[in-house]
Amino acid sequence: MSTNKHSSYREEAQKGIDSARLQSNLSNLQNRFGKGVMRYWEEMEDKGMRSRVKNARMRTFEHLDTILTELAKNVRARGGQVYFAETAQDAIDYTLSVARKQKVTKVVKGKSMTSMELDIDPALEKEGIEVVETDLGEYIVQLAGSTPSHIIAPCIHMDRKQIGELFADKLDIDYTDDPPTLTLAARKALREKLLSADMGITGCNLACAETGHVSLVSNEGNIRMATTMPKVHVALMGLERVVATLDEHREALQLLTRAAAMQKLSTYVSFSGGPSKKDDPDGPEEFHLVIIDNGRSKILADPEFREVLACIRCGACLNICPVYGKIGGHAYNYPYCGPIGAVLTPLLDGVNKHADLCKGETLCGACKDICPVNNDLPRMLSGLRQKLAYGSDRWNVKQHNLTEGYIYRLWRTITSNSFLYRTGVRLGRLIQRPFIGNNKLIEKMPSIGGAWTKDRDLPPIAPKTFAEIWRKKQRLKPTPAAPASREEK
Amino acid sequence: MSGKTVSLFIQCLVDTMFPETGTAMMTVFDRLGIPYDYPTGQTCCGQPAFNSGYHHDAAGAARHFIDVFEDAEVIVCPSGSCVHMVRHHYPELFKKEPEMHSRAVAVGEKTYEFTQYLVDELGFTDLQAEFSGSVTYHDSCHLHRGLGIFSQPRTLLNNVRGLEFIEMTDSDTCCGFGGTFSINYPEISTAMVDEKIENILASKAEVVTGCDISCLMNISGRLSRRKEKIKVLHIAEILAATGRGDR
Amino acid sequence: MMPNQNKFIENIRTALGKGSTPAFSDLYGGHRAKDAVQALRKKTTENQIQLVETFQQNAKELNLHTHVVASLSGAEKVIVEIIRSKTPEFSHQKHVVCHDHPDIAGLELWKRFNRESVTVHTTFHPDSQAREKTLASFVGITAADFGIAESATIVQLTRQGRPRSTSLVPSIHIAILRRENLVANLNEAYALLQESKNLDSFVFISGPSKTADIEAHLVHGAHGPYEMHVILISEPFLFPVDEEIQEANSKTSEGIEQE
Repeated sequence: MSTNKHSSYREEAQKGIDSARLQSNLSNLQNRFGKGVMRYWEEMEDKGMRSRVKNARMRTFEHLDTILTELAKNVRARGGQVYFAETAQDAIDYTLSVARKQKVTKVVKGKSMTSMELDIDPALEKEGIEVVETDLGEYIVQLAGSTPSHIIAPCIHMDRKQIGELFADKLDIDYTDDPPTLTLAARKALREKLLSADMGITGCNLACAETGHVSLVSNEGNIRMATTMPKVHVALMGLERVVATLDEHREALQLLTRAAAMQKLSTYVSFSGGPSKKDDPDGPEEFHLVIIDNGRSKILADPEFREVLACIRCGACLNICPVYGKIGGHAYNYPYCGPIGAVLTPLLDGVNKHADLCKGETLCGACKDICPVNNDLPRMLSGLRQKLAYGSDRWNVKQHNLTEGYIYRLWRTITSNSFLYRTGVRLGRLIQRPFIGNNKLIEKMPSIGGAWTKDRDLPPIAPKTFAEIWRKKQRLKPTPAAPASREEK
Repeated sequence: MSGKTVSLFIQCLVDTMFPETGTAMMTVFDRLGIPYDYPTGQTCCGQPAFNSGYHHDAAGAARHFIDVFEDAEVIVCPSGSCVHMVRHHYPELFKKEPEMHSRAVAVGEKTYEFTQYLVDELGFTDLQAEFSGSVTYHDSCHLHRGLGIFSQPRTLLNNVRGLEFIEMTDSDTCCGFGGTFSINYPEISTAMVDEKIENILASKAEVVTGCDISCLMNISGRLSRRKEKIKVLHIAEILAATGRGDR
Repeated sequence: MMPNQNKFIENIRTALGKGSTPAFSDLYGGHRAKDAVQALRKKTTENQIQLVETFQQNAKELNLHTHVVASLSGAEKVIVEIIRSKTPEFSHQKHVVCHDHPDIAGLELWKRFNRESVTVHTTFHPDSQAREKTLASFVGITAADFGIAESATIVQLTRQGRPRSTSLVPSIHIAILRRENLVANLNEAYALLQESKNLDSFVFISGPSKTADIEAHLVHGAHGPYEMHVILISEPFLFPVDEEIQEANSKTSEGIEQE
């Protein structure tokens, strides 16, 4: 599953906006889950939990060297293997070497955004290994040759009819658009894969350093199967997806399941951290934890952005974002979409490259309100915009738009001087004359103004600005604060 | 009543394009007997530059603002986003300059949004206003989430004689303006404002109001293009109305 | 392996601006939950009954079937009824797989199905046929290590003779849970986990498998079992195998209850 590198944010956004199916599905999702989670935060008894978990996460990052060392030690004590991958390629190479050694021919995957970030599937397929997504949504997206559009609900951009047609074609069943029947068909098709695969690859929702466990959250049971039945389990873990103690795990887990799907707990929360004991009929013979950097340590090093590592990938920000709700996940052109994607993607994959993600939202703040760990995504987006505006050596960012830079420098000069400002306003009032229509509104502006007037009218600069009205008032009425006069219009 | 003289902070958009909002504020203060002045050197709070990432340039406008306003007793503005800029972002802009930082903090502490000042600081709920018609209200993002102002406008509107207040669905969902977002990503912005308009129209109100002219400009610009009949008024204009020839 | 780890950790130290890596125990000195666990073992009968009610209440919305019985013989009746009345999903014959646990052995299911065409397997350790038996079975029977009333969750710790697949692969999962092993919430559950020795792999299970991936429409039965039953047994475990449980039982005054 490779990302679509050619469409721009605006083109894909327009496709999303034009898709009635997507609009309907996202509207339904946001009404139920976005509003539902906000209601839960308001009604929750233990309101301190969110900040406790946030503080615990930030403390974890301060001591990440200690915590990852402890995690590795405890996994190894149980007979598991731990590999530290600095780059995506390192992680892929390691996983391939394990697969080769074990003569793996079939891989089943539990839903893992990290695996998509690495883009590991093509590498496995090149080795002749069959790769099967087992999360229903990911499976559907894989069959359709598409990419997921939501962190938790991968095929939210498709409707039941589309899925029915897809299954009729790929699974050779009679057409139906009944979700239970479709799910049953997928259950049958995937069961065979799950029970015959020789390697399971999953992500890691939250590792626990104190006990050396990788914990995985799911409702379908595919992750339990993928980590129990094949003889090898590889868990891919971003270096920030770890809590220090079991106690911290307890609270982070609750926030995750509540924020992701309004559940007290997901149907399954599995904890594993090593191979099964000798002669045990289940459980992998080999357990590999791959701890991945791929740009995260750079985020860790920057106090402006370190906070974003606290994200527990619940997807709640997607469920409340009005921009995501209109454009859908594909516009973000990277595995991480929505508000979290808008911050993380530029930091991991290039700020200039993903400039639209930095600038393409209104900073309304809904994501900050809903985030279980109180991440201030608007602040970080504002920080990314600053990097695009002036460039940044630290993040290897070139000034994004030199012309715009000059315009704002001019703007600064004008707004720092009231005489220049007043003159500029008077000038604007002159220049606008040809553009004012019969209805006293501007319906068409040249250049960038045209972007506004394409869909909206614009009132012109008033014949008398407030400042001019005030001056006149001062000349006519030298004593201020007379009782209510109704002539001021 | 605090007895302080209000220094009017008239947002650049209000000054240039919607001066009636500013004059409406004066009408209200006159009616309440609140003294006010207007520092004529004011220009713009800096939001357009800040919003686009030009923090350094925004700081230029901010310096000017602080110079113009720092001797004011209290500063009142008919725009939540501008107040948010001054209170929350000015200190950030000067975090590396201790002296400017304290000045920024001091100015921020005495800067208020119009309805916030009337209700929270002056203790007014009834402004003796009269406006007949049904009105629905849009919660602007910076006003609502940034400053926590939600009940104050509603309190004031509910006490306007003859006014029927109707809550719209999703009153606090972003209208899609987002400053330069509306120009750089117009298709997304339009899609968002269209949804806001659907909710406004579904409320069946005759008028839509709010506390931020930027949102209202966005909404009215689209309503006008769509040839919808519903009227758009800044809350100051409603609060200034006394039922005679106000529509 | 180690040089690769050293470089990685060194990189993190640099990112954090640190010169050295302190020991985990220095930063996160162990706070043990021993007292909390002692308190848990002292639950009154009234308390336990309340927890059962809470568990049942919370099970409803998860489509998790609960049954309250006085003793193992009551549990046996429920299990036999389920096995008799349900049809296997993937085969024509009825096979059932059970954990090697004294409570399940106490059910003597193999006796009940002596004359019926139901084969009862137990996952004794070691058994090279265990996987085949599990794959052939349409019902999996486990004994939960403990349960959480607030979320209608059972907790299964993997042990020899009690593999993970029993509660996962068969279409129907039946878990028996003694009332005395019910705790109220996650806090208490984690306290128990904290005190468990040699914690290997374990799982929290809260109902049958489900998915809402198609148009956010909830469907029960994805990859794990599509049907799940928890049988809550009032009677405490009478033949303790270790000191902790013996101590706990000596503090509860009631014997076997009549239902």
